[in-house]
Amino acid sequence: MKPPRVGIIGIGQSEFKARRDDANYPELVREGVTLALADAKRELKDMDAVVYSLAPDALLGIGNAERLGVDAVGARNKRFMRINTGGATGISSVITGWTHIASGECDIVLVAGADKVGESGDSQTILNKIWDPTYERALPLGTITMLAMSAVRAMHKYGLTEEDMARVTVKNRANAAKNPKAHLRKVVTMQEVMASRYIAWPIKLLDACPQSSGGAAVVMASEKYIKANKLDAVWVSGVGHCSESYYMGDRMGKKIMADHADAHALARSFERSYKMAGIKNPTKQVHVAELYAPFSNTEYHAIEAAGVCKLGGSLAMMREGFFDLGGKIPVNPSGGTLCTNAIAVSALVRAAEVTLQVWGRAGEHQVKGARVGIASGNGGDHQFFGTMVIES
Amino acid sequence: MELIKRKESWNIGYDHALGETASYFFARVRDHAEIYGRRDPKSGRVLVPPRAFSDQTLEPTTDWVKVGPGGRIEAFTIVYEEFKTLPNPPYAFGYVLLDGADTAIGGFFRGIDLTDPAKAAKQLAIGTRVSTRFADERKGSVLDFWFELEGKRGKGGKSGGETAVGYE
Amino acid sequence: MNGEIGVAGVAIHAPPRTDSRSLEESIYAVTWAALRDGGFDIDDVEGIVVAGNDELDGRAIAVMMASGPVGGVDRDILSTPSAAEHAFVLAALRIASGQFANQLVVAWNPLEVDSFSDALKVGTDPYFHRALPQDELATHGLQAAVLEAKVPGVREAATAIVRKNRIQGAIAYPDRSIGVMETVFIASGRPTRWPLTDTMVAPPAFGLVAMILGSKEYLSGRKVKNVSWIRGLGWATEPGFIGDRDLSTVPSLDAARKQAYRAAGVKDASTFDVAEIADATPYQELLAYEGLGICKRNAWIKHVASGATARGGKLPVNLSGGALSFNPVFCAGLVRIAEAANQVRGRAGNHQVPNARRALAHAASGPAMHYNTVVVMEGGRS
Repeated sequence: MKPPRVGIIGIGQSEFKARRDDANYPELVREGVTLALADAKRELKDMDAVVYSLAPDALLGIGNAERLGVDAVGARNKRFMRINTGGATGISSVITGWTHIASGECDIVLVAGADKVGESGDSQTILNKIWDPTYERALPLGTITMLAMSAVRAMHKYGLTEEDMARVTVKNRANAAKNPKAHLRKVVTMQEVMASRYIAWPIKLLDACPQSSGGAAVVMASEKYIKANKLDAVWVSGVGHCSESYYMGDRMGKKIMADHADAHALARSFERSYKMAGIKNPTKQVHVAELYAPFSNTEYHAIEAAGVCKLGGSLAMMREGFFDLGGKIPVNPSGGTLCTNAIAVSALVRAAEVTLQVWGRAGEHQVKGARVGIASGNGGDHQFFGTMVIES
Repeated sequence: MELIKRKESWNIGYDHALGETASYFFARVRDHAEIYGRRDPKSGRVLVPPRAFSDQTLEPTTDWVKVGPGGRIEAFTIVYEEFKTLPNPPYAFGYVLLDGADTAIGGFFRGIDLTDPAKAAKQLAIGTRVSTRFADERKGSVLDFWFELEGKRGKGGKSGGETAVGYE
Repeated sequence: MNGEIGVAGVAIHAPPRTDSRSLEESIYAVTWAALRDGGFDIDDVEGIVVAGNDELDGRAIAVMMASGPVGGVDRDILSTPSAAEHAFVLAALRIASGQFANQLVVAWNPLEVDSFSDALKVGTDPYFHRALPQDELATHGLQAAVLEAKVPGVREAATAIVRKNRIQGAIAYPDRSIGVMETVFIASGRPTRWPLTDTMVAPPAFGLVAMILGSKEYLSGRKVKNVSWIRGLGWATEPGFIGDRDLSTVPSLDAARKQAYRAAGVKDASTFDVAEIADATPYQELLAYEGLGICKRNAWIKHVASGATARGGKLPVNLSGGALSFNPVFCAGLVRIAEAANQVRGRAGNHQVPNARRALAHAASGPAMHYNTVVVMEGGRS
């Protein structure tokens, strides 16, 4: 039987900053919620359920921090659960919101969360602890070094250069300059990126995402509810997840299922979303993409995983401006995760931004005529991937 | 208006059981300066480091396979930034496909001049042959060994002339 | 909720040692046990929901390590760290959405952390309460203290529940159930978080639980027998700041019960043949009696004394022994659901209620029953 059609009726996001000393964690959550409710013209009491988006507790310094957010999301005595798939949490949460409604159990669901990454002191220290103590915790792994290694393999496999990487930063910063919610909004040049200091070769300071703080939320509803309340909405036409082996070393060597240079499971996740949405030719059918890419090099394999071109093909297309705001398929017109990374909600923001795009409400960073958009989230050691297709 | 902040830190200790497979691996490293992998019968892959089962096939792994000491670099990075509780930069580490293995194992690269990133990156290029070196005194940890470019003979114990990266 | 969903494979593990296997390997074992229990292979599994607690596991993102042993590679896997029972809820929703024909649910409670108390204490907010010695057990104690003040003589009922569950646990799982059974010993225990005594709670245990859920179409197609059909599902939460709650009531349990009973068409708890109910402390089981419509607080003492909720009674509660006998803290709630499912599947071993057709499961997790989940299940044909 056909599940009920699920729409997004409102979104809200903070103006992301490094630190928010003026608000504690539940207050930041409430900030995103207030904005989303206003956008959806709903009240907290209208919600049937809440899906809470929260990645590692350790980044906030509070165990099961979602419990402190219960009142911020108006969930007292309501259906409530928290999702954690690492960096993909935000999109997994939105997809879980879809599930709540598609199941027939709920008519209207709030998906919300916040992060204060800047308060954790040093996120790489915490992110080092995501690796298992058995073999890899002793190594100085972090999300930066992990993705630096992905860049190294992409350089070897496809000829990715540091200039190719810098090109992504330049594009995304130019986009973020037009997005009042983005954290890093200063336009930068290729020379500035190339001159910035190395963090983990080949990733330089300006190839890397910031540590952001802020809240974000979306309100989702069934078609029945939307019609009954005469609401405006955009529609979730496809959802999917897929994950890879936790072992990065298994994504190298011989007889590999997935190469660490690529994002194989992301491609599989997109396949699942596309199948549901009836998208057979992404290059022709997709108008805008918000792809989770906290480091410049990772935007390339995300684009390829989205099926827009073959493996290695995105480099030339980026050079040609294919993915610019004015290009054929703009990627990360919001500035993306590279310019704003409040980990618990970064992937939620990808879905929220695509929502704005296909709704025609993205203001200065609007992609003209966008009707079909895709969003993705990445989590763990490049292990968990969630994808969505959202259309008007 | 006064904005107050409070410092908190988590101090939670753990005793993680490593299980028989990983325990054997570390015992061989500690007592014999040898590295072992386990074969996944369904895919035929020799998994290094070894695990009791393959997460791809969900089948139990079967025979032990000694791998290395030679191998090739599959991925690397060179860290120039300081992070709390991580080693003092610069240091290079990455993944090595040891001879006889089908998956790569993580470890530090030593004996390379890291001052010029581009030069160092060339030396560590994917495909470069390396040799596994073991510390004279080993504890049964992945830090008991590291990799050096093949053809370079470094001293045992803590590698000389380079940032000592042993840390607990 | 769309369609019918059943539980078709169950495994509850209480490994005797914590040093012989890595947590990953233990999760692998319980996963295969549940698959085999239902006659499934890992290749049949379309999606997975797991639940682990990062602080107990000692991993900043518990699902990373856990994804491997549950067959997460190349599959759609999610994690609900709020509560183990939320993984069950989400799995059911995922099947009802039509996106999946089945789901594997796995949760665990390791004993690798030096101090359970410290690990769970970081759940207390740093803004106002972290400096206090407020770990999860202390909050359960606060709830017990409030009840003692409000319900005269409640301790007698609490002691009787401990005895009941321990006796039942010794029948159901004599090798894993621990704790004193004699009233005089229960009553004279050493206070640990007053009014809770060390005899009124079970220490944290190493435990894992896994279940396979499937849609009716899927399970019928595979001719699976021994299915526990979900007739009603409800879940709700309390607010996070303890001071905002009246600990002598559990409104979120009322809300969850209403959702579940309405969906299942249940008017009255007397319809159930058996129940598995949250009992991290005996006071929680009592509050649940009220919240689930079994017995109001003014009748607690009499009801418990009558044996109505004991083995052989009108509605036996916690024949498995409950968390008072075996307490895998984080996944204890999912164990309640698994035990109830097994009753109507006819797979409850030594604690099977003959011809159990309708079972009630209640899971509560977090400090003082922060999360409440109610599941109504039925065996036999749909």
